[in-house]
Amino acid sequence: MVDYGDLAVSIFAASLPLTMPILYAAIGEVLAERSGVLNMGVEGVMSLSAFVALLTTFYTSSYTLGLLAGIAAGLAMGLLHAFATVKMGVNQLIAGLMLYFLALSIGDFGYVLVSKTTYLHILPIDSVHIPFLSDLPVVGPIIFSQNVLVYASLLVAVVAGLILFRTTWGLKIRAAGENPEATDSAGINVNLVRTICVVVGSALAGLGGASLVIGYLGLYSTGDTLVAGSGWIAIVVVIFARWSPYRAIAGAWLFGLGYAAAAIFIGSSVFSILGPGSGYFLLAIPYIIAIVFIIMFHRGTRPPSYLTVPYKRK
Amino acid sequence: MAQQVSLGRYFSYLVALVVSLVLFSIALLALGYDPIASLVGLVSGSFGTVFRTTQTLFLVGPLLLAALAFLVPFRARFYNIGVEGQLYIGALFGYIVAAQMGGVPGIVAIPLVLIAAMVGGTVWIALPLFMRIKLQVNEIFPTLVMNFIAVDIVNWVTAGPLKDPLTGNLQTAPLPQSTWLPSIINNTELNLGFVIALAAAFVVFFVLFRTVLGFEIRASGASPRAAKNGGVDVTRSILAVGLMSGALAGLAGMIVVTGLNHVLAQNFSPGYGYQGIAVAALGTFNPLGSVVASTLYAALSVGGDSLQRSAAAVPIQLTYALQALIVLSVLIVQKWLKDREERRR
Repeated sequence: MVDYGDLAVSIFAASLPLTMPILYAAIGEVLAERSGVLNMGVEGVMSLSAFVALLTTFYTSSYTLGLLAGIAAGLAMGLLHAFATVKMGVNQLIAGLMLYFLALSIGDFGYVLVSKTTYLHILPIDSVHIPFLSDLPVVGPIIFSQNVLVYASLLVAVVAGLILFRTTWGLKIRAAGENPEATDSAGINVNLVRTICVVVGSALAGLGGASLVIGYLGLYSTGDTLVAGSGWIAIVVVIFARWSPYRAIAGAWLFGLGYAAAAIFIGSSVFSILGPGSGYFLLAIPYIIAIVFIIMFHRGTRPPSYLTVPYKRK
Repeated sequence: MAQQVSLGRYFSYLVALVVSLVLFSIALLALGYDPIASLVGLVSGSFGTVFRTTQTLFLVGPLLLAALAFLVPFRARFYNIGVEGQLYIGALFGYIVAAQMGGVPGIVAIPLVLIAAMVGGTVWIALPLFMRIKLQVNEIFPTLVMNFIAVDIVNWVTAGPLKDPLTGNLQTAPLPQSTWLPSIINNTELNLGFVIALAAAFVVFFVLFRTVLGFEIRASGASPRAAKNGGVDVTRSILAVGLMSGALAGLAGMIVVTGLNHVLAQNFSPGYGYQGIAVAALGTFNPLGSVVASTLYAALSVGGDSLQRSAAAVPIQLTYALQALIVLSVLIVQKWLKDREERRR
């Protein structure tokens, strides 16, 4: 007999670390898109940063340096995307996809070179143990036994939300995406705001990739099998969350749950009554929910008015 | 004036190619590889022998069809990034029909299978198309999401209901031989799929540039409002490009299944749907330009593969980076030239 209560707890507990990389990347994408720039390269940026973070942590034995290196790689890719789309005005969708291919292959290439002589792997960061709280039933393992990077991702989401909706900075960002011309007339440098948002957003995607390695897996694999769709999911989450970092927490968690459930059910024989291979359906469920959700709420789901439209001063 | 523009276009390719190759060579040099030998290896690895040439030309098929599937709707400003999912579902529909074709001669079976694949592709674009036309939901999101659902469905059937019990691989049983696309050169990968893709490129070119529908499609993309004022039914254009796109994507998946693998396997597409977008951009969203672009792209993939296995052993990922770099630089240089021209006026 399977204890369904225990099973649910373990799925929920496993879901948060899987939510974390998606959430970091989704927050970054919210910032970029709010300012008017779509970055479809997130998946590749995460993958490159994951490799860079792994490499750095492996050779320096420092999680902090690893995270910083991952962020730096994301930042560099963000600069490239900002140059192509904000400065040059190249089609954002296409440039982003090229960024995906470029970043992914650079990370993979680096890994192939290094792994000829070295087996790159690290011990992922430990989960915290809070006396009393971590030992509570249900909430203990789910909420109070995660690692710092998981908690940080939630904090970053809240901070990003506060910046976006409660500061003049946030107002400038939203204005750049909603009405760049009026923003410009108000004396705000639209393309500077956009560049900063793209770069910071990409750095957050980098943090997402780094957190996947340092906070969860401890290794890398080529051919986009490591990030394995988290970056694309982040883009989906942004729309699902209607461009709000707060709602992105819920959106990212939904997909984290899907991953966690699928990971358990795919290997489980208990559920074979559903037919072999049906575990893959669990991976599809969050996507189906997302589609249904957007059909139901399509009137309220409107992207920033000038998303994907380059701004050129007259 | 027109001539200047097209000269500028060739110039942009030259600049982009030189910039990308220089960066590629610097990376090779820095890592201790021989850049000249590697570049020669790329060329000889893709067109050096008859076998390699046929491998390259086979790969042109799915890349070109995927590029067409992206560029047709792109012309009407419908961004279908769901080609990957549509090619999976197209291949699934095609497989289901093909599996029933034991004993049916190829001349009957193959067209039926291809039609089924086209239907599958259009089925998979139907929902995003509906959402765009009826609910005014931007298509980028639904088409992207549908990719993952499609891959999950194919993952499921190849692990469950359609799995070949005789193998440990996650794939279906082999298709009846009559449904295999006939080879153009015996015992090579070059088969009817390549011809189908080329023919599709010419048909798409004809439709886009020589028919009223094509004019309406391009007008809808250039300026939806002006097109509407000019009496063009923009909705009809979008419906037309959506259906054409799904059909082309389905074909792209099918010619890989019936032309190369002869089974439906998990993850049989290494991202043709996404690579097609790169090819379409490289071919300036023109069907005939995409023929050239897909050949270059395929040559780099096949050449990069043999370079990896040659004595130089340059990992293929560096060639992948080169592909992306070429497309990105072409886009940037083209934009730069266009802006300069506009400023001069």
